[in-house]
Order: sequence, then structure tokens, then C-alpha cells
Amino acid sequence: MAEPMQVPIQYNEAVVRKFVIASVFWAVVAFLVGVYIAAELAWPEANLGFSFINFGRLRPVHTSGAIFAFGGSILIGSSLYIVQRTCRARLFGGEALADFLFWGYQFFIVMAALSYVMGYSQGQEYAEPEWHIDLWLTIVWVIYAIIFVGTLLKREEPHIYVANWFLLAFILTIAVLHLVNNAAVPISMYSAKSYAVYAGVQSALIQWWYGHNAVGFFLTAGFLGMMYYFIPKQADRPIYSYRLSVVHFWSLVFMYIWAGPHHLHYTSLPDWTQTLGMVFSLMLWMPSWGGMINGLMTLSGAWDKLRTNPALRFSVTAVGFYGMSTFEGPVLSIRDVNALAHYTDWVVGHVHSGTLGWNAFISFGAIYYLVPALWKRSGLYSNRLVAWHYWISTLGIVLYISSMWVAGIMQGLMWRAYDAFGFLQYSFAESVNAVHPYYVIRWMGGVMFFVGALIMVYNLVMTVRSPSTNLSGSDAGQFGAAGAVVAGE
Amino acid sequence: MEDDISEIIVGIMVAVLGLVGLVMASGAYDSEIFIFGLSVAGFAVVFDIGLIRRHHDRRALARHRGGNHG
Amino acid sequence: MPTKIEKDVISGRDTTGHEWDGLKELNTPLPKWWLYTLIVICIWGVGYAIVRPSVPGLFSYYHGTSGFSTRAQVTADVAAIAAGRAGSMDKIKATPIEKIGQDPQLQAVAMTAGRITFANNCQPCHGAGGGGRPGYPTLASDSWIWGGKLAEIQQTITYGIRSGHPDARVNQMPRFGADGILKPAEIDAAADFVLSLRAGTKPGPNVAAGAKVFAENCVACHGEKGEGNREVGGPNLHSAVHLYGDSKEAVVAQISNPRQGVMPNWNTRLDAATIKSVAFYVHSLGGGQ
Repeated sequence: MAEPMQVPIQYNEAVVRKFVIASVFWAVVAFLVGVYIAAELAWPEANLGFSFINFGRLRPVHTSGAIFAFGGSILIGSSLYIVQRTCRARLFGGEALADFLFWGYQFFIVMAALSYVMGYSQGQEYAEPEWHIDLWLTIVWVIYAIIFVGTLLKREEPHIYVANWFLLAFILTIAVLHLVNNAAVPISMYSAKSYAVYAGVQSALIQWWYGHNAVGFFLTAGFLGMMYYFIPKQADRPIYSYRLSVVHFWSLVFMYIWAGPHHLHYTSLPDWTQTLGMVFSLMLWMPSWGGMINGLMTLSGAWDKLRTNPALRFSVTAVGFYGMSTFEGPVLSIRDVNALAHYTDWVVGHVHSGTLGWNAFISFGAIYYLVPALWKRSGLYSNRLVAWHYWISTLGIVLYISSMWVAGIMQGLMWRAYDAFGFLQYSFAESVNAVHPYYVIRWMGGVMFFVGALIMVYNLVMTVRSPSTNLSGSDAGQFGAAGAVVAGE
Repeated sequence: MEDDISEIIVGIMVAVLGLVGLVMASGAYDSEIFIFGLSVAGFAVVFDIGLIRRHHDRRALARHRGGNHG
Repeated sequence: MPTKIEKDVISGRDTTGHEWDGLKELNTPLPKWWLYTLIVICIWGVGYAIVRPSVPGLFSYYHGTSGFSTRAQVTADVAAIAAGRAGSMDKIKATPIEKIGQDPQLQAVAMTAGRITFANNCQPCHGAGGGGRPGYPTLASDSWIWGGKLAEIQQTITYGIRSGHPDARVNQMPRFGADGILKPAEIDAAADFVLSLRAGTKPGPNVAAGAKVFAENCVACHGEKGEGNREVGGPNLHSAVHLYGDSKEAVVAQISNPRQGVMPNWNTRLDAATIKSVAFYVHSLGGGQ
């Protein structure tokens, strides 16, 4: 409820609008590339013998596109929206700095994708861009940190809202991860080629300390920050437990850092490192579920809103998938389970239950909230289309993860099968053959997810442009609460 | 006022980055650095022109409202 | 903004009193089951880290009370598998390859070991079932380059072809074009002649001239009539599929600047009994002699 004494603040919403548009655009691109590489896996002829679109080059286009372009854009955009409103402060640094953050980040995305397609890569998962693009991202990220921290420092609210703890942890930790993992010596400032300062198993550990914490801080902490704003906002309910948010925040950010070695079970990584990775991954289970509990229980007293607010449905389902993935993850970290699952498609299924089920869905929930809010519309153009999007995507996710579970377990079992004479039962090529039908099903799941995104694009475009969503005078107050002013004179 | 300071600082920073891009492109061993350097330079030009445009748009708007800006 | 604790009607709990953009928090205590599970897992974690190798030191690490080590486990597992096979593989090692077919039990073991070893090691080049690919000879027909008898196949696998091993099979086709031994017109004629040896090929214009070039330059390795010479690994040119292509351009290229394939020697990667089994399996694919 707006208190009568509060002065309306002119928030910088323009930069948030830009990030929302970018996120929706990159979603379509990233999902399309994903569908294509899934096709290449099921039908290798789709590589067309054309180096620019072969699987090896397109895969990082998809992963970077989905994580950094789609996910990153909505995450950064939401963080700027959230920090301003929960601090009651306009973004620090002025319009120009915010614009550089937006355009500089988009430039990073485009340059990275272009470099992959041209065949350049550091060969490190989720850190493929070469040194020159890494340096550019560093500049953009420092500016992001300046803007975010600066806004926190000029806040009018004495306390910092929980969403901002997660966002700040995300920004600072990603900076450290990025700098450490990408430490490399270019052969010349005029060449894209560089050599990592690490080698061997040490380099593997640095990479997966980075890789897992990219998941932990970019895909988890950052998006939990979003969750902590958009769910209580849409449900119009208080957060279930402040104390839980404190305890699960600190335990989560502490435990996550150590979990990296679970990517390297049964490799030449020392046993002691594997033990620590496994133990911390398991101890991470409850801290992660703290976020799930807070998200779901905040709906207490508001479950009926799920019937009328399909965007909220996305956010809540996201939290459910989050819980599922953060249970599956620790299970996969157990060495004996990992002995079956490592290198199989089960891991791919786990990744996508997290990225599609949690990250993409919470992003859709945020986008469906933000577009009417930022473009001052009365609401979404069509709630029915949101429902279509929801059900098609959910079905797509189910197809994806179940096909990958079956494929993964099948691979694991085939690879370890011995016959009566004590020889391996199956050749590797036979296991590749055996999972082909599941690769086709996975592709179908991806197509459905992509179609859902197209429905979303149409709905959002119509939301912004259709006269049916024009604000009438009486509606103007709905976005005027708590200090935001309607832009324009 | 804050926006003016921001524009100057960002504008200079981006211009410097653009120059670095040109230098990289000038000596590029591979097409990746060539394209990257030129793209950075192009980005700098477009971005700074945008800053200048916005600066003057803001001044014009303020003047239109009564010349009362920072 | 001032702290203003309110009571939430639905849950019955108080808020913390703070508010941000309309958002509030309840002061619900930590769910007990959540807290207990967290504590139990942490205790388990400490215990596991005591039992297993866990904490690094400066120069070594804590080995754990169980003395577990992945390396020891793998060594034991590999030894167990080898021991399980030892009986049969030792027998195969002791039996000359020509005699394996006489003992059904040995034959079954050899076929099993041969099939899976072939699938994981040889199939990527030679194709499933030994069908062959351009540049990689077929093993399922009787057009053997170096011989298709059991012992000959065994030798090829063991030491390879142009592999660098002192006992490798080696030959070298002269670079008739690149080294200027023959003129382009002569190479062209020779190619016409070679192609005429294949059944069903339309004869080119210079077959007669090519026959003369062939008689003077090629018969030493490829045989009087181009039927091949397995002693020196000269391929049979009558065969329906040429290793490096059977178009006129491909044959001219191969005469001018021959590609000489390399097959690795497997004696460093596979033990003798396994190689014997693979040779036995390959021999059974359809072309064994």
C-alpha cells in the first residue's frame, strides 16, 4: 500500500524494457538453435557438411544463447527493475551507463555467437568465448556491479530486501568466477588464440568450479532473486519466512562454491576433491529447497490465483521444477549414482529440467508480469494464449526429460554390461544406435518448447500494440502503487 | 545533471574502447580479431552518436519546458 | 520506512515489519523438518569425510579411515575381470590360431572377444561387419591386400601397415606423377588400362597404350595381369571397389601422387590373445581364406 508521504520516483524503466525485448528475442533464437542441434544429433545429415552450422560450433551458440542471452537479459533487466523499486532509488550511474550496460551486453552476446560459428572457442563449457570477448564482458560486468551496488547504496529503504542479497551474490560471484576461469595468455593482442594459464586436471577443476557455480550463482541465485520479487508480487502475499530466507541464503552461497568436483567423479581428479564435492553437493540439498519452500509457501492463501493468473502458474511451476532439479542434482553427485550417470544423457536431462523447468519458466513468469507493467497496459492481451504456452511447454519439458532419463540410464547400463564370458556386452556404437529414438523424442520436446515461445512472442507483441490492452483512466493506478510514477507528461 | 556526467564518462570510455578496437583490427592475424575490432569501433561510433543525440534531445525538451534543467 | 509489524490474517503470523514496494515477509520460524534434515545431512557429511579421503594438506591429504582409493578400486576391478577371463584367454594364447576353430568352447570365446574388440577398435575405420569405407579396406570380401589367411590377418593386426613398428608391413607405391617418373599422358593411358580391368567399366580411349605403360611399370607389385601380389601388398586392380576411388580422376590421382594408408600396430594396445581373437573374428566375416 502506498503511504501518502512517499514521493513518486522516476525509475529507469527504459533499460528494463530493452532487456525484456532482448530476452524474448534471444529466447526464440536460443530455442531454435537448440531444436536444430537436437536434429543434428538425431539425424547427423542435418550438419549438411557445412562447418558454420555443424553441431560442434552450434552447441555453444545454443548454450550461451539460452543461459547468457535469454536468461542473462531477463535476469539483468529484472534485477534493475527489482533493485530500484525495493530500494526506492533510481538506478545509479545515469541513463548513459545503463544504456552501455544493455548495449554492451548485447554486443558481448553477438560477438560470442559469431566467434563460435567461425570456429573459435576456449573449449571450456559456458566459458567458450576467447580472451578478447572475455575482456569486453569484464568491462560490462564491472559496470553492472557499479550500477547495482550504487543503487543499493543510495537506497531510501534502510534494509535490503532478500531478492537483492541473491542478486548481489550473483553479480559478485560471477565476476570472480569469470576472471579466474578465463585466465589465459593470448598469443598476441592481434590474435584470437590464447592459452589457459591452467592445464591438466587443475584446469578441469577450475573449469568445473566455474561451471557449477555458473549454475549456482547465475542460474540459481540470480533467478531466486527474481523469484523472491515476482512471486509475492503476483500472489500479493508476504514471503513465507524471513528467517528461512536468511538461513537458506547463507547456507546456499556457502555450499555451492564447493560442489564443482561432482562434475569430475571417476576422473583423474584426486579422491579427496571428489569427496568434498560430493559432500557439499548433498549438504546443498536443503539450502536449495529453502528457496523452493519459500516460493511455494508464499502462495498460501493465494492458490486460487493460479486459476486466474496463468503467468503466476509459470512462476510457481518453475519453483516446483527447481525443487526437482535441486534434488536430482545432489542425487547425481553421489559417486555410486554418478558411476552410472556420468557422460550419459541423464545429465542432459537434468540440465534441461533445470533450465527449461526452472529458469525459463520463472523468466516467462517475470516477462508476463513485466510487459504489461513496463508498457503501461491493462494486462496481457490473452490469458488463454498464456495457458496454451504453459501447457505446450510443460508437455515439451516432460518429453525432453523423460526421453533423456531413459536414454541416459540405457547408456549407463549398456556401457557397463558384461557377458557370460566376461567381455563387454555392447560396443559404444551400439549404445549410440540404441538411444536414437529418444533423441527424436527429445527433439520433439524441444520443438514444443519452441512453439510455446512463439506463442509468447505473439501474445506480448499484441499486449503492447493492441488497443484492447489500453489503460483506461481507472486502471492507471495499478502500476502507480509504492512510488512508481507513470512515465510521460 | 547526473545524466550529463554519466554521458561524458561513458562517452569517453566507449570512445577509448573504440580506438582499441581499431588498433586490434589494424594488426589482426585472424578474421576473428579483425571483425571484433571493427565491430567494437562501429559500436563505439553508433553508441556515442546516440549519446550525443540524447543529450541534445534532453536539452531541447528542457528548453521546451522552460529552460529549467541542471 | 518505519518498522510496522502487522498480523497476516491468513497465516496468523506477524510480518517482520518491513516493506519494500508492497512486499512483506512473515516471521515464520524455520520448518523443523527442513532444519533437521539439513543438520542430519551435515553430520552425515562430516562422517563421510572422516571415512573417505577428504581434506588436503600442503603436500599430501587426509586418506580417510577406510583407506578407500579409486585407483585401488579400479585396479581391483580390472584384475577381477581379467581373472574371470583368464582361463579362456590363456588357452587362446597358448593355442595356434589355426586350431582355435577346432574347439567349440575356444571358438565361442574368441568370437565374443573378437566381436566386441572389433566393434570398439576397428569398426570406426573398417565399418560395421568389416564393410570398409573409402580409404579403409573391406575385410569381408576376398580381396585381401596383405593376405586373408588366419596367420596373415593376425600379423597385419599385430604390427600394422606402415605403422612405424619394425615388423610392420610396408610398401611404397612410387609417385609416378609427382616425381616425374611418367608423363601425364602415360598416366592417363595407364589409368584407362587399370579401369578396363574392372568388369562393367566402359573402356577409355588409351587402353592399349596403357597396357604397355602398365607392363613396364606396374606388374612388379600389381602382378602380370593386375591381379595383385600379396607378398608385397600390391592390391588386386580387378576388384570392384578401389580403395581410393574408382573414378578416372581418382585413379589418375592415385597413380600420380599415391595415398599410402597407415594401419596402427595393435600389439601395444591389445594383448596377444585378444589380437588372435580379433583375427579369428575378422577371418569369419566372409572373406577369410
